[in-house]
Amino acid sequence: MKKWLIFFVVAIFALVLSACTATKDAGKEKPTETGGEKEEAKTETETQIEKVLYLNNGNEPTSFDPSVGFDAVSWNALNNIMEGLVRLSKDHLAEPATAEKVDVSDDGLTYTFTIRDDAKWSNGDPVLASDFVYGWMHMLDPETASPAAFLAYFIEGAEAYNSGTGTAEAVAIKAVEEKVFEVKLNTPTEAFLNIITNPSFFPVNEKVATGNPTWFAEAATFVGNGPFKLVDWKHDVSFTFAKNENYWDTSTVKLDKVEWAMINDSNTEYQMYQTGELDTSGVPSELAESLMKDPELKNEDQAGLYFYRFNTSMEPFTNKKIRQAFGLAVNQQEMVEFVTKNGEKPAEGFVPYGFIGPDGKEFRDTAGKLVGFDADKAKALLAEGMAEEGYKELPAVTLTYSTSDSHKKIAEALQSKFKEVLGVEVTLQNIEASVFAAEQKEFKYQLSRSSFLFDYADPVNALESFITGSSMNRTTWSDAKYDKLITDIKNETDESKRWEMLIEADAYLMEEMPVFPLYYYNQVTLEKSTVSGIVRHPVGYMDLKWADKN
Amino acid sequence: MTKYIIKRFLMMIATIFIIATLTFVLMHSIPGSPFDDERTSNPTIQANLEKFYKLDEPMHIQYLYYLKSIVTFDFGPSIKKPNESVNELLARGFPISFELGMVTILVALLSGIILGTLAALRHNGIIDYLAMTFAVVGISVPNFVLATLLIQQVAVNLEWLPAATWSSPLHMILPTLALATGPTAIIARLTRSSMLEVLTQDYIKMARAKGLSPIRIVIRHALRNALMPVVTIMGTMLAGILTGTFVIEKIFAIPGMGKYFVESINNRDYPVIMGSTVFYSAFLVFMLFLVDIIYGLLDPRIKLHRKEGDA
Repeated sequence: MKKWLIFFVVAIFALVLSACTATKDAGKEKPTETGGEKEEAKTETETQIEKVLYLNNGNEPTSFDPSVGFDAVSWNALNNIMEGLVRLSKDHLAEPATAEKVDVSDDGLTYTFTIRDDAKWSNGDPVLASDFVYGWMHMLDPETASPAAFLAYFIEGAEAYNSGTGTAEAVAIKAVEEKVFEVKLNTPTEAFLNIITNPSFFPVNEKVATGNPTWFAEAATFVGNGPFKLVDWKHDVSFTFAKNENYWDTSTVKLDKVEWAMINDSNTEYQMYQTGELDTSGVPSELAESLMKDPELKNEDQAGLYFYRFNTSMEPFTNKKIRQAFGLAVNQQEMVEFVTKNGEKPAEGFVPYGFIGPDGKEFRDTAGKLVGFDADKAKALLAEGMAEEGYKELPAVTLTYSTSDSHKKIAEALQSKFKEVLGVEVTLQNIEASVFAAEQKEFKYQLSRSSFLFDYADPVNALESFITGSSMNRTTWSDAKYDKLITDIKNETDESKRWEMLIEADAYLMEEMPVFPLYYYNQVTLEKSTVSGIVRHPVGYMDLKWADKN
Repeated sequence: MTKYIIKRFLMMIATIFIIATLTFVLMHSIPGSPFDDERTSNPTIQANLEKFYKLDEPMHIQYLYYLKSIVTFDFGPSIKKPNESVNELLARGFPISFELGMVTILVALLSGIILGTLAALRHNGIIDYLAMTFAVVGISVPNFVLATLLIQQVAVNLEWLPAATWSSPLHMILPTLALATGPTAIIARLTRSSMLEVLTQDYIKMARAKGLSPIRIVIRHALRNALMPVVTIMGTMLAGILTGTFVIEKIFAIPGMGKYFVESINNRDYPVIMGSTVFYSAFLVFMLFLVDIIYGLLDPRIKLHRKEGDA
């Protein structure tokens, strides 16, 4: 029995030792750069033959039917194998693409697009206005059940048709001529051109789609009109792009091939990046702190934010001053520095960075810092609020978040801040993600976590969430002044005036504080130094049109 | 025998029916729907989606659809991958999980039985201690820890093998090692303990007295009886490993079906939950049936019809 024990202890000891040396080796391996040199040598020989970029899509794309695949795993691919009338430039602005000319009527309601003569499908067919009509109507058809259809509700008759109350004929989308496409909107919509850069507005080759309704399901039948074409697709394993010689701007495209893997584990992805099997990688959360200073790391804005919602119908958050007190007790700067540690920017208002106004200035810079830590003011506001409501003691507060380690860390940091600054004991509650989403919509939580990702690049997309009755509101907050402001913004045709109103709306929302923001999302990526020109737009998707590898 | 098999088969169907019904009830009793997420949730869009997947029908009608889908084994389109049917997902994922599982089971069985037998024959000797130390470590170290360690050491530091994905026999080595260690350890321990017991039996003494060679004694007489507990756990172990393991498949980016069990529940992807549960339970019940037959083959004292009476 004793022998047993000795053996066991020795074995455990040996195991621990080997584990230690393992990590030491891992540290040594990097500076010697043997791996790096080998990698360069390998790519050098490859460039003589062809330029192949190795990327990871994480998961199988939901669908390559542009009306159905409404998520990043579909968009990052779709945006490179198809193209809409307009495309986001390197500076994230909508520019003519498949359309060479865009005419807008004086009232801002009618858009006329002239499609390039040399715009062709990957099978050689010309891209026609009717292909756009077909693609857009397919999205709006209620039978398609497209999750993206709401983006097209700006178009006259679209919402009625999609909800089953109107007809297809009443939708104001038409092919005026073979190469001329016309759309009529309900209201002048500043962001319209930006919205239609979304893959849901890509054309569908009518001839191909009527012949084979599942044309998008396999590489062999897929027909696109983007800088690349889909040449291989092993479901759940990988897919491959090759340069599309039929693309109108094919001379700009530098890569010959893009190989996409589907690795759904951040550690494995990073390890494959280390071995050179991938050219880019995300950052595993455990390594975020140490990799933040890596020269191969890129930190870019992503239009979205992490925030918390108050339920304005539940005590004590019925009182504005108490809401403000909680909001001011939160230290956004500390949160990104010591809790999330992923290089995010702390939030200063509801609209993130990355939106440039007609004056050429960043929205956030003009709007200024609207929220931020202020312990004294928070305490004073809490006292005032409690006096207004006649509370001797603050009603119990429960903070709810969806189960996940990262949400938990943030919730605990908030809890300790509320205790430290306001002297309030907040109870934490975690709920499984789907249940959480359902119950938040049913207004069951007092104070709960949330996030927002932009569907299109206009501040109004985030701000309109909080109008009365919006399915994105989820706070029960309702304010006639705010509702009117958002309606006015949507109808305003003067750009500068509209921008001022957007800034006003952001400030008003932060003043009323049905929500308080924590930080803005970012995209951190490790990218080999041989790779250049990959564009990651703050709203949406990755663009490989200008990418290169040496 | 035929009568027994028919009876067992009918019981299998009843079992699957009960499991399927319970799954349906549990699935719909958890709050949340496949379309509940943080993203924009327009009511019209939700209504269109619910109609598309027939989720707008009353619950008893949905249950009838569900029963029909089990009988015809056609679970319809997945909600998270709308262009693919659940059948396609299973048909694609299962062969890969099966391949990995089969190799793993073979490795685990062979090395587990050899280790366990050697340990029993050299009871309290060096081999015994080494084998049992390995077994304790193998059972206590979770396979995802082992998997990450293996990738870091063998693939990243030593560069001997590729880190992940499923594209060549070389790619199979690391996941097999990571997955087989636990079962090997369990089998080794079971073999050792039952072997120790069997070796003291009278018929082994008898065989020795007859002058049979030690190898023949071990293989023909001892092992055959010592394997009963191993066969018992093989049924559940096989069903578990062959239908895919979520963690290992995720870490090594293996396109098996393990992920459907976990992801479908997180996503409330009802058709995939139903498909994978029914498939798994049918497989499990079938494996248990096989185990019962193998009992009879290994030990003639076990009469199938008597077992049936017990059940």
